[in-house]
Amino acid sequence: MGYLVEGFKTAFVILFTGQEETFSAIFTTLKVSTFSITITLAVGIPLGFLLGYYSFPGKRVCRTVVDTLLALPTVVVGLLVYAFISRVGPLGSFGLLFSLKGVAIGQFVLGLPIVVSLTASATEQMENSVRLTLMTLGASPGQLAASSLWEGRYAVLAAAMTAYSRIISEVGVSMMIGGNIKWRTRTITTAIALETGKGQFAEGIALGIVLLGIAFTVNAVVSLARRRASS
Amino acid sequence: MTAIYELRNIIQRYSNRTVLDIPDLEIEKGAIVGITGPNGSGKSTLLRILAFLERPAAGEIFFNGEHVRDIDDRLRRKATLLLQESRLLKRTVFDNVAYGLNARGIRKDLTAKVHEALRMVGLDPGEFAVRSWFQLSGGESQRVALASRLVLEPEVLILDEPTASIDALSGMIITRAILKAREMLGTTIVIVSHDVDWAYGASDEVLSMFSGRIRSKAIENILHGPWQKNHDGTVCMHLDDGQAITAIAPPDGDLFTALLDPEDIILSMDNPGSTSARNTVKGTVVRMNLENGERSVLVTVSVGGFNMTSRVTTGSLSRLGLVPGKQVLMVFKATAFRWV
Repeated sequence: MGYLVEGFKTAFVILFTGQEETFSAIFTTLKVSTFSITITLAVGIPLGFLLGYYSFPGKRVCRTVVDTLLALPTVVVGLLVYAFISRVGPLGSFGLLFSLKGVAIGQFVLGLPIVVSLTASATEQMENSVRLTLMTLGASPGQLAASSLWEGRYAVLAAAMTAYSRIISEVGVSMMIGGNIKWRTRTITTAIALETGKGQFAEGIALGIVLLGIAFTVNAVVSLARRRASS
Repeated sequence: MTAIYELRNIIQRYSNRTVLDIPDLEIEKGAIVGITGPNGSGKSTLLRILAFLERPAAGEIFFNGEHVRDIDDRLRRKATLLLQESRLLKRTVFDNVAYGLNARGIRKDLTAKVHEALRMVGLDPGEFAVRSWFQLSGGESQRVALASRLVLEPEVLILDEPTASIDALSGMIITRAILKAREMLGTTIVIVSHDVDWAYGASDEVLSMFSGRIRSKAIENILHGPWQKNHDGTVCMHLDDGQAITAIAPPDGDLFTALLDPEDIILSMDNPGSTSARNTVKGTVVRMNLENGERSVLVTVSVGGFNMTSRVTTGSLSRLGLVPGKQVLMVFKATAFRWV
């Protein structure tokens, strides 16, 4: 147990002295995850709303596919994206392999089903009275759709935060697509994996504390959003 | 008076089940029309059709003389429906009341209009406008929901049990605001209410609905039974106090629900002796409502825990000296029932 206690002590020293290598991984993680979640939400929220709000042939099949993709293993996403962006893949000419853009594509694939599925669920669970109320107040079809989405904003925020939690904590995509290149594509999770493998527990614990701190903040926001949504 | 609504052969079906069947209905412009009837009688479906929230499966609707072929925003914005438990949008009170005006692109005097609507429903704009939706009581929420509709100055205000689940004070304020809207703007009011005083005190016309049909333009006594068959071709419904009501059995023998027109019930202080009427039951007067614009009064009598209503003239009322709490006999024929 001694090495764990020692690891925690050193971890705090690393965090408070601002060790450059550790903070590089933290900033890389925040940069790529912020970019990924932005694109994921921009695409996922409208798609989820359309899936939940409108009825169309094949809707049930779409829901089943999206819900199945929720359990997509990160290494499978990594493998698929790798196949597409590697030199011999169809997108090989863009040079995305071992870049943060490539990692962002993988995280987008990972987060999209979460945002689509949870937004669709939130929209489906919206009481019919919301729609009726908006219609009785004279909302046009466009206003009806926009206002319905706004009424479900807390549930959509919870969906966004859930997707962000998954994106920031994944290791498969970052490792396979990013390649864990120091100063460039090394993220918190890939750094933890590396440091643990090297027996450098202090660095691993320091990064773990940061990751837990981010996860705690995200979950606090989700919890607040859920409380607001149910009030 | 001209008709604002004309409904011809309206039928509505849900999953191949007919829930509304109205051969002919006209609602006059500026009128207050009350709709009564038990749960599942088609009241809410009728309201949604009148509010242009759903299209009937068959039939024609004329609004202000114009044949309604397509329901669009322009049409829907002329009539607004207040639901029984209205849902407020997850915004401030001000934004809730302003929503409909914003949807219509009305920006001029927005704040003044919103504040005026809040004042109409007895809410101080200074105190309430900035509140969020979750900072209101049930009665206050319903008043905000009404203000959101009054501010639109609709041609038709449709209300589904607006005072059913709120406190008495809020109910009274809502009632006043509705009547004020009609007085100031000539708004046509269509209201579903179990509040008999409301229906008969304020309405120009009362439609009684049952099983998706308008049974009469007045209240009817609805006797659900259970009915027991007698050997002489009659059926009998036993009341809690040991009295019984006898009716001629329906031709198809299917005992379900019997309707009895209040016109067919005679009130008497003494036993009428030998008459052709088979039924004489004793009860206590519990309520009396003067019918709007009529010289008649609806007298509701509790008979064995069951309320029955009779229509009498104001002259008969004073001759009999009827007051709530007084015992009275209700006399009616076994042939007076209609079966549905």
